[in-house]
Amino acid sequence: MIELKNIEKYYANKGVKSYILRHVTASIKQGEFVSIMGPSGAGKSTLLNILGMLEEPTYGQYEFMGEDITSLNERKRIELYRNHIGFVFQAYHLIDEMTVAENIEAPLLYKKVSGAERKSRVADVLDRFNMVAKKDLFPNQLSGGQQQLVGIARALVAQPSVILADEPTGNLQSAQALQIMDLFKKLNQEEGITIIQVTHSEVNAGYGSRILHLLDGVIKEDVTVEQTV
Amino acid sequence: MFRLNLKIALRNLWKYKGYTFINIAGLSIGLAACLLIFIFLRYQLSFDKGYENEDRIYRIVSSWTYPSEGEFYSKGVPRPMAAAIRNDFPQVQQVAAVQESGGIIKVPATAGSPEIKEASSVYYVEPQFFDILKINWLEGKPHQALSMPNTVTLSKKTADKYFGRWQNAVGRNIRFANRTDLKVTGVFEDFPDNSSFPFNVVISYLTYKDESLHNWQSVSSSSECYVLLKKGTDASALKAPMLKLIDKYYEKGSVGKEHHYFQPLSDIHYSEKFGNFTNKVMPESQIIGLIVIGAFLLLTACINFINLATAQAVSRSKEVGIRKVMGSMRKQLIWQFLSETALITIIALLLASALTELALPGMRNLFSGDISFSLFGHPVIFIFMILLVLAVSFLAGFYPAMIVSGFSPALAIKNKISASSTGALGLRRALVVLQFAITSVLIVGTLVVINQMSFMRSKSLGFDTKAIALVNVPSDSLSQLKFNTLKEKMLHINGVKGVSFCNAAPSSNNNNTSSFKYNSTKDENFQLSVKSTDEDYINTFSLKLIAGRTLSKTDTVRETIVNETLLKKLNITNPNEILGKFIETQGRKMPVVGVIKDFNNFSLHDKIEPTALFSFKPVYNLMAVKMEPGQLLPAMKAIESQWNNTFPDYVYSSGFMDDQIASFYETERVMSVLFKVFAGVVIFISFIGLFGLISFIATQRTKEIAIRKVLGASTLELVKMLNSSFLWMVLIANLIAWPVSYIFVSKWLEGFEYRAPLSIWPFMVAMLLSIGITLITVSLRSYKAANTNPIDALKYE
Repeated sequence: MIELKNIEKYYANKGVKSYILRHVTASIKQGEFVSIMGPSGAGKSTLLNILGMLEEPTYGQYEFMGEDITSLNERKRIELYRNHIGFVFQAYHLIDEMTVAENIEAPLLYKKVSGAERKSRVADVLDRFNMVAKKDLFPNQLSGGQQQLVGIARALVAQPSVILADEPTGNLQSAQALQIMDLFKKLNQEEGITIIQVTHSEVNAGYGSRILHLLDGVIKEDVTVEQTV
Repeated sequence: MFRLNLKIALRNLWKYKGYTFINIAGLSIGLAACLLIFIFLRYQLSFDKGYENEDRIYRIVSSWTYPSEGEFYSKGVPRPMAAAIRNDFPQVQQVAAVQESGGIIKVPATAGSPEIKEASSVYYVEPQFFDILKINWLEGKPHQALSMPNTVTLSKKTADKYFGRWQNAVGRNIRFANRTDLKVTGVFEDFPDNSSFPFNVVISYLTYKDESLHNWQSVSSSSECYVLLKKGTDASALKAPMLKLIDKYYEKGSVGKEHHYFQPLSDIHYSEKFGNFTNKVMPESQIIGLIVIGAFLLLTACINFINLATAQAVSRSKEVGIRKVMGSMRKQLIWQFLSETALITIIALLLASALTELALPGMRNLFSGDISFSLFGHPVIFIFMILLVLAVSFLAGFYPAMIVSGFSPALAIKNKISASSTGALGLRRALVVLQFAITSVLIVGTLVVINQMSFMRSKSLGFDTKAIALVNVPSDSLSQLKFNTLKEKMLHINGVKGVSFCNAAPSSNNNNTSSFKYNSTKDENFQLSVKSTDEDYINTFSLKLIAGRTLSKTDTVRETIVNETLLKKLNITNPNEILGKFIETQGRKMPVVGVIKDFNNFSLHDKIEPTALFSFKPVYNLMAVKMEPGQLLPAMKAIESQWNNTFPDYVYSSGFMDDQIASFYETERVMSVLFKVFAGVVIFISFIGLFGLISFIATQRTKEIAIRKVLGASTLELVKMLNSSFLWMVLIANLIAWPVSYIFVSKWLEGFEYRAPLSIWPFMVAMLLSIGITLITVSLRSYKAANTNPIDALKYE
C-alpha cells in the first residue's frame, strides 16, 4: 500500500543543507499498525507528514496505493488524500468555533457527500463513540481525552484506509491514553484500517504490529512487535 | 529607554515591510488629501480679511421679485444709489460708488520703452472708497488723486509695468479707450491675490459718463456700491430705511419688485448669488463639503491603521509579555505603542508633504487660485500639521495600544495570544462596510457626473457650435463704420463660410432680459431675453427658421424674430399667427417677421427663455465667424491679421463657441475632477483597509484553515470560504450606498434643466466595481493563507 524509496528531506539555509530525512526506504502493507519511534528531532513527524502528503520529500519516490505521489498534480493528490487518509493530532486541532457534530461533519463537506448521508454517517460515528449526548458541545467544553475521541471520530468518518496519528496521546493522562490506544487497536484489527502513529511511548508502540526506529533521519531498526516483546 | 524603543519600533517597521508599506501609503495619501484641502481652505478663507473696520463694511446689492419667476439677484445697484444713500442714511459713515469697465489702455512711448497697448479692466471709483477699505498709498492721497475728472491711479505692479518704475508714474499720461487722456495722480499698494478687488487701474468716478447715471430703472452688475456703517449700527436695522428709500426713488407699478440688501464684506467672496469683480466665488456649501471630505479621508485612514495594527498585534504579544515580566507598567507600554504610531504618522506626513507639493500645481490649475505650501509664509499650516500628527497618532494608535498593552503576560510568553483576543471583529467589519458604502457613493457620483458631462457635450443646443470663432470687436461709433468692410474682407478669407455681428452668441452668459409688451399696452408678467444681431446671424449659427423670414439688412431696430418658447408662453399654437404682430421692449416697438426653433440661451442648467432677435448696431461687440473645420488654423490667422489691419488701435481677442460653452460648465468640470480624484483616493484607502481586515481574519483563522486543509479542503475552497463573508459585506455596503447616492445624485441633477436620464447602470457598475476590487484584494491575501503549508500552522501547538 505504501512504498517509500530513498526519501530525502532537507532544508537549505545559506548553502548549508540540514537533513531531516536520509535514504528512507520502507514498505507498509494494508492492515499494518506501525509505530514510528525515536528521539526528538529524529524526523518522525516529517516522515508522517510526507506519508500524509502534507509535505513533499526533496528527493525520492513515494507510491501510495500504486500511484506515484511525487508526480501527481495537486487535484489528484487531494482526491487521493480525501478518500484514503485521516489525520489525528497530539493537540487534537478541532475547530473551536464548531460543535462536536460539526467538527466531525467537516471532512465530509470536502468530500462532497450529500447532506442526508453526512447526517447518517455523523450520527453513526457519534453513536459508536458514545458521544451522542455531547454532539452540541464545543471543543473547549470537553476534556482532553474526549477531544481526542472527537479528533479520531473526525478522521474515521470519511472512512479512510489509513489513519496517521502524530503522538495521539501526548497530551493525555495515562488512563485516557490507554482508552485511545485500545480504540486504535480495535479499528486496526476489526476494520482492517492501516494505522501509522508517531510515539515516544514504548507502551503505545506495544499496541502496534511493527516499529520503525528513526535516528537523525535514518531508519535504524525495523522490527515487528513480537520480536521485542 | 526612548532610544531603545525607537530602535525597536524601526526594527519592527523594517521586519514587517509589507504592513509598514501599506500602512504608510494609506496614511500618507489620506494626510496629503487633508493637507491639500487645508491649504486650499486656508487660502479661500483668507479673502478680504485684515481691513480696518472690516465688520462695518458692507456692499449694497439688489434683487427683483417677479410674480411668476421668483427672485433675481444682482451685485449691482442703480447708479444714483451711492448719492441717495449719502443723502438719506445718517447711519452710514461713508459711501462709495464703484463702476467696472474695460477698454484699451495706451501708454505712450518714452525714451527707452516702447508704446504699451493692452486691453484692461478699469474701475471708476469714488475717493471715499478708500476711507471704507483702507489700503496703503505709495504716492498721492485718494481724496486728492481721485476728486477731479480725468485722473487715474495705478497699483504698484501696473505702474511698474507701464512706466518701468512706479516712482516715475505720477504726473504722466495714459490714454483710455482711444479717447480719454488720464493723468496719473497716485500709486497704491497692490491688492493681494486673495482679495475680491482686482483694482489695478482706478479712474476717478467723475470721469465716468453714462446715460443711466441718474436712472433708477436700469441696473448693471458692474455698478457696485460700498458703505461703511457708523459704529454701533446694526445692518438689520437698516431694512426699514431702505424700504423708504426704494419707495422714494423708484417708479411705481413695475412688474419686478425691487429690493436692496446690505451684504457684509466677509460674505462677498462666498456668495454665489451675487458674485464679485474677480468672478472667483467659493460657496459655503463647497467649503463644508471639502471639510467633510477631508475629515472623512482622515477617519478612513485612521480606521485602516487600526485594522492593520490590530492584525499585527499578535506578533508583538511576546515582546509585550517579556516587557511586563521585566517590570514594565501598562502605561509605559501604551506610551511606547502610541509613540510608534506617532513615528509612522510623522513618516507618512513627510511623504504626504511631498505628495502635496506634487499635487499643488494640479490643484492650482483646477481652482485657478494662488495657493502655496509655504510653512514659513503661513505658520498656521505648520501648526495644522502638528495637530494632524497628534490627532492621527491618538485616533489610530490608542485602540491598538490599549489592546496590545492589555495582554496577560503569562499567556503572551507562552505564545498563547491568538488573534481572537485582539478586540472586536464586528466593529472592524462595520467600519469596513462604512468605508465601502462611501466608496460606492463616490463611484456612483463619479459615474453620474461623467454621464451628465458627456450628455451636455453631445446634446444639441439648437444651433451649430462647431468651428465658430467669436471675435471681439470695438463698439465705438468710429469702429462701427468699419463693420461692413470688415465683413467683406472676412468673407473673402479662404475657409470662412459666414460672418455675423451681434452682441451675444446664441448660448451666452451675457444675456439681456427686459420686460415687454405684446400687442397691448400692458407689460407681460414674464421677461423677454433680447439679442441684437445682424441679418446673417441665423445662417452663421444654422438656426432653424420655422415661419416667416430672416431679418432684413438694417442698422437700427426695425423688426424682430422670436423663438418657439415665447409662442408657448403667449399661448400661440400656430407660428404664422404671430407674424405681423407687435412687440414693444426697451422703448422700441417692432413687428415680428419670423419664428425660429428653440435654442439654449445659456447653459443646460437653465430653461430656454422666451427670446427675441433684432438688429441694433450700436451694441454689437462680437463678430461670429463660421469656418470650414478643415481650414480652421489658416483662417484664424487670416482673420487676426485682417482684424488688426482694420482696428490698429485695439487689441485682438477671440475664442471658440465650443470653448465658451465648455466654460459654462467649469464648476461641473472641477467637480468631476474632484470626484474622480477623491473616488480614487477612497478606493485606494478602502483597498488598504480591506487588506488589513483580511490579513487580520486570515491570521485569526490560520489554525482553522490548516485543519480544514488537513481535512481535505482545496486551496480554492478555502479562498472561497474566506472571500464569501467579504462579498456579503460589500453587498450590504452597496445596499446602504444606493439610496444615499440616489438622493445625492438626483439632487445634483435637479440643478440641470436638461439632464441625462438616471439609469440603474451607475449603481450596478459601482457594485460590480466594488465587488471586483474586493475579490482581488481579498484573494491576494486569502490565497496566501489558504496556500500555506498546514503543518507550519499546526506543528507548534
